[in-house]
Amino acid sequence: MNGRSEQYRLVVVLLLLVVLQFALRPFLGDFRSSPDLLLLALLVYAIRARPGQAAVAGFLVGLVVDSLTPVAFGAGMLAHTVVGYLAAWGKAVFFAENLIVNAGFFFVGTWLRDLLVLVAGRHMVQSAMAWQLVFWSPIKALTTAIVGVVVLMLFRRWLPIRITE
Amino acid sequence: MTFAPDRFSSRRDSLAFIVCLLLSVAARVAPPAVQDTVSRAVSGTALAPFLAVQHQVELIKASRTRVTALSVLRDSALVSAFTAQALREENERLREILQLTARLPVRHVAAEVLHQSGPASGLMVVLSAGSSDGVVERAPVVVAGGLVGVVHSVTPRSSVALLWTHPDFRVSAMTLDGSAFGIVAPRRAEGPNVMMLELSGVPYQERVPIGTTIYTSGLGGARGVYPRGIPIGQIVAVGEEQEGWSRTYVVQPAVHPAAVSHVVVLIGPAIDLREAFTEPVP
Repeated sequence: MNGRSEQYRLVVVLLLLVVLQFALRPFLGDFRSSPDLLLLALLVYAIRARPGQAAVAGFLVGLVVDSLTPVAFGAGMLAHTVVGYLAAWGKAVFFAENLIVNAGFFFVGTWLRDLLVLVAGRHMVQSAMAWQLVFWSPIKALTTAIVGVVVLMLFRRWLPIRITE
Repeated sequence: MTFAPDRFSSRRDSLAFIVCLLLSVAARVAPPAVQDTVSRAVSGTALAPFLAVQHQVELIKASRTRVTALSVLRDSALVSAFTAQALREENERLREILQLTARLPVRHVAAEVLHQSGPASGLMVVLSAGSSDGVVERAPVVVAGGLVGVVHSVTPRSSVALLWTHPDFRVSAMTLDGSAFGIVAPRRAEGPNVMMLELSGVPYQERVPIGTTIYTSGLGGARGVYPRGIPIGQIVAVGEEQEGWSRTYVVQPAVHPAAVSHVVVLIGPAIDLREAFTEPVP
């Protein structure tokens, strides 16, 4: 598999996740616990891109998120930029090509994104924020991680990644 | 696009990161008018096709629900026992909306709620109706049960509604007979799924009994934001008291935004809507 076809395939997977985020949204139930496929697309991209590219991608994803729910405009951009950068940097430093590690990576990325959005946004009363972080965000992080693992399994031949179980 | 997972970040990466961070902070502290402009521009251009897809899927889902409902009618009682509950709830909601739109004496437009998945999605939602449907900013958003929120920003094909859960949400409220007035605002969360409202500023000598339903007061007249008579919730407890001055009451909201799939946006003048929302006396 050459580099260019790998890039095209990665783009297809990312586009698929973005479209599914909107197309499946009505069927995914409660928004507080359903998987975040936009963030998943960012994380899938970030773990195989340079930190700078991942930061820019995170910024763009954040812009999209903030435009959809402009509760605290800019908080989403900040959070996704940091998560994208850290994901790419962290992957380069110590992540192994292992399904469970990747699942944990998706989980932590989602939870951290929620934490940063809530802290940077300061738009929730403290008790609601606490419930969001200790109850809903872990559930969302878990569902996102599960979908992330399924995506990696389904597209393991398409994504330039070596996964060991 | 470069695939370099084994490389540490370079100076260029750090620079890109810092620029993005600065842009994010600039967006965060930008004036609301600028934020709204950018948000509207992105929603109305790059995101428009995706929102259109989501809208179509919502419509397909609603159509499927109706088709399935017909099938259920035709199928055996056993099958309907398995599937009817969710359909019944969906149909009930749609029927309530239809009944409400028939009763409303003011111009209005129906819209689907396009729930998103971010952590702030419980505070604002995207609606499938926009300025081309007549939706304007600060238009009240309601369902048959009561008040959901208010339109925050509008694009030609969609709009964003600020829900009552948002900390900035305020509405002037009263009891049905107009004996007590106050301001309703979100209260602290009592649990992961329990958001309450509070009615504050009620004069100390005015006692509002537990169980009383609270409505929008319509202060501001026909030019105000909220018409009189939209249910907000029910008093469930007495909250804080300022001795001899005023009381705060805890209000169980009439509508839970997470469960709302279709809404009505009121676009006419803020006239009295008490008769549209209160049950006719037999």
